[in-house]
Amino acid sequence: MISERSYPYATVLPVMLVVALFTVYPLLHSVYLSLHENVLTRPLDNDFVGLQNFREVVTGYYFWRSLWSTAVFAVMAVAAVTLYGLGVALLLNQVVLGSALLKVVVLLPWAIPAVISGIIWRWIFDGDYGVLNGLLLVTGIVDRYVPWMSQPFSARLCMTVAHVWKQGPLAAVFLLAALQVIPAELYDAARIDGAGRWHGFRFVTLPYLKATLALVLIYETIVAVATFDLVYVMTGGGPADATAIIGWYAYTEIFRFLNLGHGAALAIILGGLLLGLVLVYLRALRAEEA
Amino acid sequence: MLTMTPARWLLVLSLALSLLVAGPPPAAHAQAGGVTLNLVSWSYGVEIVRDNLGKFQQRYPGVSVNYSDFSWATYHDAMVARFVSKTPTDVLYSSDHWLQEWAAAGWIIPIDESFPQVRPYLSEYSPFVREALTYKGRIYGTPYYADTFIFVYNTDHLQRAGFTAPPATLDELTKQAEAIKAKGIAEFPIVLGWGQQDPFSIESFTALVFAQRNGLLFDKDLNPVFRAPGSAAEKVVTWAADALGSKKILSPTSLQAANVDQIRALQSGAATFGIIPSYSLAVLNDPGQTQQAGKFKIGLMPGESRATVGFIRFYAISSQVPRRGKEAMTAAWNFLDYFGGKTDGEYRITKRWSLEKGLGFAQTALFADKDIRAAFGKWADVDMLQKQAQLARAKEGMTPYYGTWDVFSRAELHKAYLGQQKPVETLANMAKKWEELKAKAK
Repeated sequence: MISERSYPYATVLPVMLVVALFTVYPLLHSVYLSLHENVLTRPLDNDFVGLQNFREVVTGYYFWRSLWSTAVFAVMAVAAVTLYGLGVALLLNQVVLGSALLKVVVLLPWAIPAVISGIIWRWIFDGDYGVLNGLLLVTGIVDRYVPWMSQPFSARLCMTVAHVWKQGPLAAVFLLAALQVIPAELYDAARIDGAGRWHGFRFVTLPYLKATLALVLIYETIVAVATFDLVYVMTGGGPADATAIIGWYAYTEIFRFLNLGHGAALAIILGGLLLGLVLVYLRALRAEEA
Repeated sequence: MLTMTPARWLLVLSLALSLLVAGPPPAAHAQAGGVTLNLVSWSYGVEIVRDNLGKFQQRYPGVSVNYSDFSWATYHDAMVARFVSKTPTDVLYSSDHWLQEWAAAGWIIPIDESFPQVRPYLSEYSPFVREALTYKGRIYGTPYYADTFIFVYNTDHLQRAGFTAPPATLDELTKQAEAIKAKGIAEFPIVLGWGQQDPFSIESFTALVFAQRNGLLFDKDLNPVFRAPGSAAEKVVTWAADALGSKKILSPTSLQAANVDQIRALQSGAATFGIIPSYSLAVLNDPGQTQQAGKFKIGLMPGESRATVGFIRFYAISSQVPRRGKEAMTAAWNFLDYFGGKTDGEYRITKRWSLEKGLGFAQTALFADKDIRAAFGKWADVDMLQKQAQLARAKEGMTPYYGTWDVFSRAELHKAYLGQQKPVETLANMAKKWEELKAKAK
């Protein structure tokens, strides 16, 4: 029989083991890999190389290019997701009739796996048979099919649209929840003071949303920087590596260049980058609350 | 009523955890009195593969086969994951792209030492097939199919533009495409499968390089000669950048297109010229699939040498099999022999693929097979097909690091096509990468 004192530990242990197995072990193994030479086509060369993998990755051909691509994508994606989420949340907060159904419809893309939504958008944007081109042609907006994913900028834009469609609903739900707890009296008071819609939004809504907006920004930045699945199914990093963001680069190092050491080093750098972003945002959030 | 004491809870949780950690039982392994093989392929003609497997299992009742397939575009990565995670994999499809990489990594094994009966087959193969199946003097498989990249054109488009023969050089190709564009027959007369994610793209590019005068990528010591001023590669990259950029005769969708997208563009009549693996011509000329059927013909590759790339996809045995013992090895060889070799004196499976799907073959004698000639004759000029096949060469630079260089090069080539950098810069970057990989491999 387990003693009362050890009972909490015993019940928590299995969960801790699962966490250790699926989180701590891979993390430690990644650190190990990143400090050793580990190219799969040279299976016998597994020397300890210290920080050489990190040095090679950071000074390599791809790193700064992929970091730039990641930054461009993250700025586009986070801004678009936040604006979309805010717009949808404001709309859903006002609509009474049919708002329940609308909430389901808006949330639907979030429930669809990212790979599936990536495939859907790849077909939509296809330069030969995509439905977007079909619609634009029928409505006379374009006079011929546009190869959206064959040009670097438009390929990034396509990926951003797909990303917003997938991630926007969650941002909308977060912001809608925050909107719904704003006391109505505040808007009444603002109206009495002569505030119009814009001033009501600027001086009542926005201050109340700050904490949630910060949360959305943190979360969406992390998701955007760590995006991989959309690249995998939509562009394969192309054209000309325009969509080869850092998560894709880590994947390529491992699965295509077969260099586990480089891949692990990149994953650790990516993890550190995300951690840094989280800390910056949390500090900003705390400063707001103080 | 059963009460759960903390100790029982702990026991149940531990058991659940053990089951979770242990995972499913290994799938690959001897059934009572027999052997189970795990076959992994890319997703092509899956219904034919399954039917062939049924026949194989009838012939070898002691062997059963578990079958999994992955898309062609993701196959390499899926296999890397399987090999590294040691997911049971016994017999598999591979490609000459990856042979050296997978052999160097120890994921597939040579078969000629354990099964010398493969050697007599070699003399029946095209020279490029023998070369492409060999790594460090050893043979790594039997052919699934062997094919060549061919240049195809829409005869109707050419006639309407006033041409009686397909282009023989890149300059002629440009002139014909410009004329077709000028007459409004096709806005972008040329479409190529040069999407960054498609493993075919480097083969299609290489085929164009081989077709030019001095069409080499590497010398015999594996030095990159494509970097030299005026090289065939420079000519091809410059031509492609002009065709896409200033002349606008190469469809911009080429940079996102896989082979299947290229075929769709040709089938729709939106494009006139393409470079495809020859079996795809069967699809282009299939009246069940397109109104353009019957209009597509083979022209020898445009360039002074008219050469092209010959490639091989083959059946291989994974390095997991020897560890399972002699019985498993014999079953794996029987699989390779049945699917890629002769059964009752004929290449039964190879021939089936050729007849039903138009896949090419490694065995030159099959060009004389009357059934194949009749079947191929429905969609191609067989003599022309054979003529192009005779001019085919194995890809150059086949090394364990070719796959890495290939992926790197696809993006670099895009940069030149899009005008982001000059062709010479692209080729210099590709050469630098090659030398870096070569130095590391030593």
